[in-house]
Amino acid sequence: MAIQERVEPQAGNIVDMSWDPITRIVGNLGLYTKIDFDNREVVSCKATSSIFRGYSVFMKGKDPRDSHFITSRICGICGDNHAVCSIYAQNMAYGVKPPPLAEWIMNLGEAAEYIFDHTIFQDNLVFVDFCEQMVRDTNPGVMDKADQTEAPHADLHGYRTIGDIMRAFNPFTGEVYKEALLISRVSREMFCLMEGRHVHPSTLYPGGVGTQATPTLFTEYLSRLLRCLDFIKKGVAMNDDVFDFWYEALPGYEEVGRRRIQLGCWGAFQDPDVVSYAYDNMETAGNAMFVTPGVVVDGELLNHSLLDINLNMRIELGSSYYEDWVNEERFVTHDPLGNPIDMRHPWNQTTIPKPQKRDLDGGNYSWVMAPRWLDQRTDERLALDTGGGAIARLWATALAGLVDTPYVKATDGQSIQINLPQTPNTPEQTLEWRPPRWSNAIERNRSRMYFIAYAAGMALHFVNKGLDEVRAGRTKTFEPFDVPDEAIGCGFHEAVRGVLSHHLVIRDGKIANYHPYPPTPWNGSPTDSYGTPGPYEDAIAGQPIFEENGRENFRGIDIMRAVRSFDPCLPCGVHMYLGKGKTLKQVHSPMFGAQNG
Amino acid sequence: MGYIRTGKPDVRPDLPAHTPGIMSGNQTGNYDKQVGHKPDGTSTAERSTGINPKARNPIDPRMPNLPPA
Repeated sequence: MAIQERVEPQAGNIVDMSWDPITRIVGNLGLYTKIDFDNREVVSCKATSSIFRGYSVFMKGKDPRDSHFITSRICGICGDNHAVCSIYAQNMAYGVKPPPLAEWIMNLGEAAEYIFDHTIFQDNLVFVDFCEQMVRDTNPGVMDKADQTEAPHADLHGYRTIGDIMRAFNPFTGEVYKEALLISRVSREMFCLMEGRHVHPSTLYPGGVGTQATPTLFTEYLSRLLRCLDFIKKGVAMNDDVFDFWYEALPGYEEVGRRRIQLGCWGAFQDPDVVSYAYDNMETAGNAMFVTPGVVVDGELLNHSLLDINLNMRIELGSSYYEDWVNEERFVTHDPLGNPIDMRHPWNQTTIPKPQKRDLDGGNYSWVMAPRWLDQRTDERLALDTGGGAIARLWATALAGLVDTPYVKATDGQSIQINLPQTPNTPEQTLEWRPPRWSNAIERNRSRMYFIAYAAGMALHFVNKGLDEVRAGRTKTFEPFDVPDEAIGCGFHEAVRGVLSHHLVIRDGKIANYHPYPPTPWNGSPTDSYGTPGPYEDAIAGQPIFEENGRENFRGIDIMRAVRSFDPCLPCGVHMYLGKGKTLKQVHSPMFGAQNG
Repeated sequence: MGYIRTGKPDVRPDLPAHTPGIMSGNQTGNYDKQVGHKPDGTSTAERSTGINPKARNPIDPRMPNLPPA
């Protein structure tokens, strides 16, 4: 529901508009904007969070072996990513390396999660913003044009015009919408085969997995994966057609959600031949990951060392409801290699909540802190975003040029080739992803579908590797370990919507400090103490408005497309009100289109 | 806990996790006690059950001893 808030009258035709809460995301995201209807532009934007979670507070004193089960509950859609990341951090702290078969099983589970989560978000939530019903309501001129535009890849997906594709996106009735729901079920079955239960895995532990690795397990997974591949191949072609049409139909749409290219990716899918989970192995293991970690700034790969990524993390305040912790205990002064650890690093963070009234005019307004990445060249604290995960992963992997598998190759340092084999209803297909010109709403959305294909290609590779282990008789899936009295650990992984890190300090065999940093704090962070706005704020402020509706019937669709392109978990209920507390319109709800169902 | 007033906890934060003196599943040496799991990482048919596992071995020693996995 829209909250009631006093709004100052604005000069001219500048109107305060708010969406709060954007529900079903971690941290209750709200957007407070000022829109200039004369110039059709968003003048300013503030991203707020009105809920405090406190994981870093209540994890203290607990048995560290529980941490992956507890942190999994941070999220109801990508909890397994937290579990896996926590396990990586625990493996480092306990000094244990799981057997190769366990790593392949974990990789297969995570690949299924990427396929599931990106599919349900893209086709059942993002495309509601691009479907025929929505576009006819917000941009009727575009819909008329779509009906008259032939789809360039009609031979691949079977829809003659762009308008036909957009009708297939209609919620509850469209073919793509319904098929995506089915695929999300099938991919969750794949996940459950490997990790036991979705979304809080029951068979993942530090040191290995409890999954019974039989040949049947892998073939059951593979048969479902092939079914998904038919959908994925058609999906990529449909995405390209719709998004290319969007640029053509609405010239200038590249400015929607656009910000400077500042992308972070922390890498995914460990290579068991390389990873040892020792701290000094982190850089080597990171570069062997099947999604390469990296920081991409202005289209250049700034860094792809997990060691540097870790050392340069900074958690800033500035607009957040917390006391600073500079005078609190310093848990880690130096890393195991002797590098100094900053007081603003997650290992040294102490969370001291300080509830207060929201002040959007120069005061504190969010429970989200401001994670930044220190660029050592310029001493600038970069407000990296993840672009919803997929674009950052593809960009970093393409530029690093390190991934070389039979189905996915990124060896030329410029692009990624994804070779998908023939499947029951579709022929063999080769896809190529190249870094786009912009980091904007359309390209974030387009990359998501390509990453589903990437994850599927990787899953094929992991199935082969897993079966190789089983056929060779190497069936061990867990390695025993003892919990040390004193240890530190860090895990780097990719949650579906972007970077994920867990930092752990153990003392007396218990958790002394634990800080998970998922993607939404990076993307949804408020303005920091250096005055740098968070990525949502940055991307939305200054963006043009293309919606044909005037002020009275305004739905804010362009702003919603911009914020949803970041995949703020599952934004399914967004409400909006026009200044003076008057509720204008419900913009987007999970029941949109229910009258047709 | 900063400025948030909280009550006195009823239990220790790690109470449900582990009782001292009870063996942990993860501890070193545990793998060696598991039937059917060989030190080289391979396994035998004995792994399929904890109830009379030796009965799961092949009836003829010339037959391959295959694990359920």
